[in-house]
Amino acid sequence: MDDKELVARVRAGDAQAERALYDQHVDRVYRLAYRMTGDDDLARDFTQETFIRVFDRIDQFRGAAALSTWLRSVAVTVVLNGLRKVKRFRRREVALEAAEPTGGNPHPTQPDLREKLERAIEALPVKYRMVFVMHDVEGYTHEEIGAAMGVQVGTSKAQLSRARARLRESLAEFAGEWAS
Amino acid sequence: MTEERFQQFLRDAAQDYNRPPEAPREEIWRAIQAIRRERRERPRPQWLHRVLAAPSVRWGVGIAAALVIGIGVGRLSMRGDVAGEAGAVAENGGAAGAEAAFQWVTAQHLGQVETLLTGFRVDARLGRPVAQSGGAARELLSTTRLLLDSPVSEDQALRSLLEDVELVLAQIALFSSRRAPEELEIIDRSIEQRSVLLRLHSAVGAQPSLTGVQGVL
Repeated sequence: MDDKELVARVRAGDAQAERALYDQHVDRVYRLAYRMTGDDDLARDFTQETFIRVFDRIDQFRGAAALSTWLRSVAVTVVLNGLRKVKRFRRREVALEAAEPTGGNPHPTQPDLREKLERAIEALPVKYRMVFVMHDVEGYTHEEIGAAMGVQVGTSKAQLSRARARLRESLAEFAGEWAS
Repeated sequence: MTEERFQQFLRDAAQDYNRPPEAPREEIWRAIQAIRRERRERPRPQWLHRVLAAPSVRWGVGIAAALVIGIGVGRLSMRGDVAGEAGAVAENGGAAGAEAAFQWVTAQHLGQVETLLTGFRVDARLGRPVAQSGGAARELLSTTRLLLDSPVSEDQALRSLLEDVELVLAQIALFSSRRAPEELEIIDRSIEQRSVLLRLHSAVGAQPSLTGVQGVL
């Protein structure tokens, strides 16, 4: 069944077509959500919300782009909006914790490369992180990323370049790992 | 050359970043079906009919404006101008204004509860400090009680959700003062057994955004 027929059947309320659409795309949506959140519950929530929106708004899909492109743009929007909510919550938490000393270890051990890389990726602005994860980790092209994020291909490339530059700076102490 | 090596190194090293497990397809599908079913079956709130049918909607507008401005929705990470916008919606719109303001206040509140509970569960699971959530829970608890005493609560489904939210928020507020680890499990169980996050998700998704409301007005 091609995209056109699948969409037509979903619009007509065909439950089997809905499930077929879900099966075709759920793995990539969940993977991206998990990569961006690192949390199974959040990844599930974002995946659910993506498909609920897709089914609710299937009439808005005009077929100008591939179904996967449209669906990916919905997923990216859901993940970015969801992460903003989580970030807002965390900011409140951090502000409150800063007011009260927690008694944590003031001399944490030196993180290894993997930990440092994780922290550096986490510290990227969320849109840079999305581009980095999509391109360097999940293997999307800049064209796909641009379409999903609603930006030009050049913007996607520029954001990836800045993301890499920041990561390189953060990982400077491990330069021997790639320079040799 | 060094740049190319760095990029290759980065791509290889980043493969372990938040490496996803296999997608729990069936569980996610069941949750999607449950949320969609609930949204489809959700009746139009009775309180809206009553407010709209009232001889004078000024009462409703007054309550809505008081809720919007007085409850302090804006205290919780909202931009300063938004409460003013909602107040203007309530003041200018008559029946539609009352409806819009009630919807807006309820949606904002439920959205904030959803954010708190989501963050609380994630942090609890990851072993991050969660005790400070108590302050936010107490603030949201006050608003929940005000909403339970307002016409909003005449919608039975919403009332039931607000009552469950009240219980969970109270547990989180208590946890912050007692800090008993076993209570985390109780809170988690309350959220799970009552499907609080699922229902919040559904309720928030069913409410129009302020922008949409303004568009209508």
